[in-house]
Amino acid sequence: MRIHNNLLALSTSLALVCALGTAVAGPAAKLPKQLPPLAADKALPVPQIAQKTLANGLQVWVVPRKGLPRVDYALAVRSAGYASDGPDASGFASLYAGLLTQGTAKRNAKAIAEAAQGYGGAIGANALNDGVLLSANALPSQAEPMMRLLSEVAQQANFPDAEVKLAQANALQGLKVSQAQPSFKATRALLKATYGDHPYARSQPTEAAISAVTAEKVRAEHVRRFRPDRALLIVTGRIGAEEGFKLAEAAFGQWKASGEAIADAAPARANADPQRIFVQRDGSVQSAVRLGRPAIAATDADYLPAQLAGIVLGGGFSSRLMQNLREDKGYTYGARGGLNALRDGGSIQASADVRNEVTGAAISEFIYEFGRLNDYPVPAQELEDTKRYVAGGYLIGNQLQSSVAASLASNWLYGLPPEFLGEYVPKIRAISAEQVQAMAKKYYASKDLSIVVVGDYKAVEGQLKEYGEFKLEK
Amino acid sequence: MRKRHLCVLLAGLTTITTAAFATAHAAESDRWQLPVAVKKLDNGLTVVVSQDHSSPTVGVSVVYHVGMRLEPKNRTGFAHLFEHLMFQGTPVAPKGVFDQVISGGGGRNNGSTRADFTNYIEVAPVSALDRILWLEADRMKTLDFNPTTLKNQQDVVKEEIRVNVKNQPYGGFMWIDIGQHAFQKWENNHDGYGSFQDLENASLEDVRSFHRDYYGPNNAVLGIAGDISPEDAFKLADKYFGAIPGRPTPPPPDFAEGLNTKEKRIEQTDALAQVPAIAAAWKMPTRGSRDHAPMAVLGSLLAGDEASRLYQGLVKQRQIALNIDALYGLTDPWTYNGPTLFTLFALYKPDTNADAVLAAIDEEVAKVARDGVDAATLKRVKTHMLADWYNGLESFIERADTVARMQTLWGDANVVNKIPGWIEGVTSADLQRVAKTYLTRANRTVIDRKPVAMAAPAAKPAAAAPSAAN
Repeated sequence: MRIHNNLLALSTSLALVCALGTAVAGPAAKLPKQLPPLAADKALPVPQIAQKTLANGLQVWVVPRKGLPRVDYALAVRSAGYASDGPDASGFASLYAGLLTQGTAKRNAKAIAEAAQGYGGAIGANALNDGVLLSANALPSQAEPMMRLLSEVAQQANFPDAEVKLAQANALQGLKVSQAQPSFKATRALLKATYGDHPYARSQPTEAAISAVTAEKVRAEHVRRFRPDRALLIVTGRIGAEEGFKLAEAAFGQWKASGEAIADAAPARANADPQRIFVQRDGSVQSAVRLGRPAIAATDADYLPAQLAGIVLGGGFSSRLMQNLREDKGYTYGARGGLNALRDGGSIQASADVRNEVTGAAISEFIYEFGRLNDYPVPAQELEDTKRYVAGGYLIGNQLQSSVAASLASNWLYGLPPEFLGEYVPKIRAISAEQVQAMAKKYYASKDLSIVVVGDYKAVEGQLKEYGEFKLEK
Repeated sequence: MRKRHLCVLLAGLTTITTAAFATAHAAESDRWQLPVAVKKLDNGLTVVVSQDHSSPTVGVSVVYHVGMRLEPKNRTGFAHLFEHLMFQGTPVAPKGVFDQVISGGGGRNNGSTRADFTNYIEVAPVSALDRILWLEADRMKTLDFNPTTLKNQQDVVKEEIRVNVKNQPYGGFMWIDIGQHAFQKWENNHDGYGSFQDLENASLEDVRSFHRDYYGPNNAVLGIAGDISPEDAFKLADKYFGAIPGRPTPPPPDFAEGLNTKEKRIEQTDALAQVPAIAAAWKMPTRGSRDHAPMAVLGSLLAGDEASRLYQGLVKQRQIALNIDALYGLTDPWTYNGPTLFTLFALYKPDTNADAVLAAIDEEVAKVARDGVDAATLKRVKTHMLADWYNGLESFIERADTVARMQTLWGDANVVNKIPGWIEGVTSADLQRVAKTYLTRANRTVIDRKPVAMAAPAAKPAAAAPSAAN
């Protein structure tokens, strides 16, 4: 697995989207008589987590596994992500996370990269809304040196002036690359409509915010953000619990916090006036259509039923949005939607990129599907299939060690307990069609949705009249 | 067709396997041997099983030995369009059944089309395995050749092309356009996504004959990885696929072509992009030849990660590029069976130019050709490649797909266990040789893609390359 430097993740991913893939879905079909039955389900494997808290407050979880020859480390640091960026420092956390691996008191950027390469692994940090996730992996024989490198990066990153300058220059160019993509502009407008002034609206960089970064600022932020009492270290792979604790203690036992911890972000809003926003993009042959509204945090009691409702609506190839907009109408390569819940709030979102000619028609189908979820209970078979789809997703994710580490880390960042991961599927199984419909009425009402379109206004304006007055943006 | 490849393969293998007995660098605890069991059914379907009971799930891949090279000449994009149609139902399982059964069984599925093969992949709880195999066998027999679904998927594929190409800055030039300029033969140089006109012209008769000619069990490999024993998997394969008769497959044309002898430089303008980019591509060694593994290691040394020569040289030292990515056709260094490219893609800074980027690449390649690589660096690169190879096999869906692809393209699924030894056996002298043989100016095709606003109305002489600074 390559952990990309965040700054270029976008441009890099451009080069790596190399498959002529397909994604397919079907309407509620009658099953053929000859189809063999499903075999009995096997017991759900639940990750066994050995837990310990070091004297400095760092939590350490070890999950021994018998998979491929690799150890994975994930250091999740709370309040270090976008939600802790100031109003003038939009997207700062991603620049900062990228710089964590660009120099320490002991090694320069090149030496860090070469060390990781020699351990048969990678090390890199990603900014998230609720924290920073510093991840590393290595061959089992290199578990100890990689743990030392991880702790060196966490505790002794020194953000050399030249590296900060380079990262800044590249981020400005990277922003230009991103801005040329319809999805980037669409996300920006939808986040603003959803979260307003909350920092969740500011996970994308701006030219001004990038330009304002200095090495001093980054160093000061690192001291504020990276502290053991706000961090969780997950160790997984071919390593025993005792060994994992021993390595963690040796590498992180002396880590000390300094100064005041960052205050928690305020809760994001749960409701917003729906908006209509059109972002002009000259020469667009498609409209990027996005719908959304603010919703709930992952710790809200409604989280799982609201999420299940979202999976019925737009979760997979067989979801309603995909069936309708792609398989029935041929409007798009992919339509999806659902709940995105974070620590301090969340949102309902739906999206599709459609040819100019069917922009209005596509919006109408989105509204129809949100409405159908409100007006009728989900039929028994479809609900059962969706629950099995979720359970299967859990099993598939649980097969991959880095995915287990990442799930545990993000749940912890959201404020969910460690056992949440293992209890998730049984809880989903217990949800009724009535509950799903109640969630639809609460969070999936089309009257509450903001609509964002990124495209060529002249080509599609005639199709938008019935959806309200669109505010034009550049 | 198989036979011809098998001979080439054996010839190539003897050179490669001698290298496999070189001293192993990696610690014993870092080694990973995948169990691989292979059986050929009477109808020609090859079944490859890799058992692993660490998770109650299973990955499945059906790889058909047909891809974009073999599509009809007046039907560019047809192999890919056909891939979409494989999900559109059969007389027994109408449209919608396939995906509903797989997702309702807890699974995920996908398919993709490449130059040499088309693959159909699933991963699901093992409780759904019978159903998945039944569905795959059902669509191998025949499809519901239906004008409505054909029209629907023509529309969907056009949207796919709009979202990935026409409405995207760069338009995938580093993986689509580059091959159109680098290769001479139509099989290798036409657009695999296809022209809208060719897509619209596709008829149900085209769909029927393509399925008949290329989608028989004798032209396919079934890979299964995960929570099942080889004995049980072979039984299931026989149960669901055994009765499907083999069908004659047309002999492929000769699409081999040699290395290029004259550099090609193409300039493109981009109305959507704001940052210039460059793709430089070189034709790769023949699959399984003695130069194959060294080329893979050279690619990794040059552009495999942040420690690589080009990342350090272009992004960090010279600071002329934002990124440097290596592409190997539409697949990876080990997955091809005909002419393919090693491509470097970089977004470059507005104060430099394509010539400076190419000069920097040439300089780094020349260093390898001249000095070879020191032992410590070579060991680091190999260690990283070994780990990367294992990482790509972690998930059951990738594992099933990899063994099936290796069986299809190499005639030997066990290549999956041989690659670590091949990597291990590459020497500094090998790297010097392949750098000199393949990464030459004559064998190079370059596309310089500039934002419209940047493109000069008249070509100006290029500035000299800035010197490297540390």
